[in-house]
Amino acid sequence: MNTFLEFKSVTKLFGRMAALNRVGFSVERGEILALLGPNGAGKSTLFGCLLGLLRPSDGKVLLRENPIEASDQLRFGYLPERIALYPQRSVWDNGAFFARLKNCAPAELERQLKRVGLYGVAERPVRQLSKGMLQRLGLAIALCGQPELLVLDEPFNGLDPALLDSLQKILREENERGATLLISTHTISAVEPLATQVAILLQGELAVVNTLNDLRAAHGENSLEAIYHRIARQSRAAAREEIEA
Amino acid sequence: MKQIWAIAGKEFSDRLRSGWVIACALLWLGAISLTSLFGLVQVGRIGLQGYDRTVVSLLNLVQYLVPLLGLLLGHDLLVSEREERTLAMIFASGVTRARTLIGKFVGGCFTLGFPLALGFLIAGTVIGLSAKDKAIGSFLMLAISGLVLGVIYLGVGLLISTLCRTRVQALVCALLTWCVAVFAFDLIAMGVVVTVNSTHAEHEIEQATEATHTTPIADMHKAFENGDENAAHAAIERSQKVAAWLALNPVDLFRAANLPKSANTDVPAWLETFSIFAWLLGVLGFAFWKLRRIDL
Repeated sequence: MNTFLEFKSVTKLFGRMAALNRVGFSVERGEILALLGPNGAGKSTLFGCLLGLLRPSDGKVLLRENPIEASDQLRFGYLPERIALYPQRSVWDNGAFFARLKNCAPAELERQLKRVGLYGVAERPVRQLSKGMLQRLGLAIALCGQPELLVLDEPFNGLDPALLDSLQKILREENERGATLLISTHTISAVEPLATQVAILLQGELAVVNTLNDLRAAHGENSLEAIYHRIARQSRAAAREEIEA
Repeated sequence: MKQIWAIAGKEFSDRLRSGWVIACALLWLGAISLTSLFGLVQVGRIGLQGYDRTVVSLLNLVQYLVPLLGLLLGHDLLVSEREERTLAMIFASGVTRARTLIGKFVGGCFTLGFPLALGFLIAGTVIGLSAKDKAIGSFLMLAISGLVLGVIYLGVGLLISTLCRTRVQALVCALLTWCVAVFAFDLIAMGVVVTVNSTHAEHEIEQATEATHTTPIADMHKAFENGDENAAHAAIERSQKVAAWLALNPVDLFRAANLPKSANTDVPAWLETFSIFAWLLGVLGFAFWKLRRIDL
């Protein structure tokens, strides 16, 4: 089977600092990959390299074994950590602009706004939206056009339990439709019910990538949070030993 | 193409909603009306003139104001989206950087072109009706070359927008560029010529670039009054060296294209065309090269 998405030894340097250091792993179609790591581990940088926002210093990102083109990105949905929209414009105007860029019909935007519960406030300026509403608008834009790859950077931040529940439901539906999901998050408990695969980045390096079930078996732990903390501890100890040596 | 039009359309409607287009149209109309009405004050008269004389009066206004409007509009086109992080959302939506740049440029052209064209259209109609002048050629030339001048400086502003990291930086660069283009370039050109001891060429450049300053404008109006427009400027032998200097700066090229024949500032048509395309392709090409290298 062809690999759907492959990060091939991706390195990103900012000056002398390596935000990503030869990160390589692949994701099969229909997977939900949880990308975990502390702040500054390189999660958003990795997404930036995938979406063409950052140029890798070395290595490449391949989609179906080919470099990613702008036409491929029309089938991507992206929800950034800090959602940037046009505050003076209405919910509808913002959605319609990005939907048009992705060749989506207004009916599709309407469907997605209804799905995230924002259709009733479509005429409201974005500057008047709460954080949760903004997050939902970002999600509606990302979902436009039935993307085959959804890239979600910290999608669970600042959501109340009801919204969290509805977001998880939507993401599950998208996965059932056939979409592949990449989710970076600190809210491990929120991604655990969804993830089929887990990648952990620590200081720009890939500490582990495996299926959730294999990780559970290998570490004798059921909770993803406990597994993450254990791997992070082991990595820190290894780094200390290396420095001392 | 859909993506380019979506970006261009949004740019124009944003500026329309923010009042930029209306303010620009009003400013332009006001300035053009005042200059047309009071252009003859230097020779002791007030009132609308025919097309030829209006062109002489409007030269200063267009050469100072149009590049400034182009730069003020262009400097903000990309850097503001970069600061607000919406540029990343656009790129992540499958829009290439080239399409983004073209969309912004086209949107900027509409935003700048609409009020300028409206101003010229209204002023041209009023002058034609009130002065009963049918020789509109020189006025059309002024309008078209003024629009081209604006589009070139819009491109320069867009380049500044890709080179700068913040809006403040871009604004400062845009204003400095305007000062250089409108005021300093002629001095630099003459300085260089003097340095290489070409006093004849220096005299020619002075002749060509001084033609739109206040005193020579008054001289031209006086010459029109006396029915001897050739007296405004003594004919001097021109050299290709001076034409090349004028072609280096779009503002000088604009002056050369619009001054009366008697000012003897002709630049060959091929050089004018070459200079316009070189400027446009140069600034847009450089902007694209830079935009491709920007990490968001």
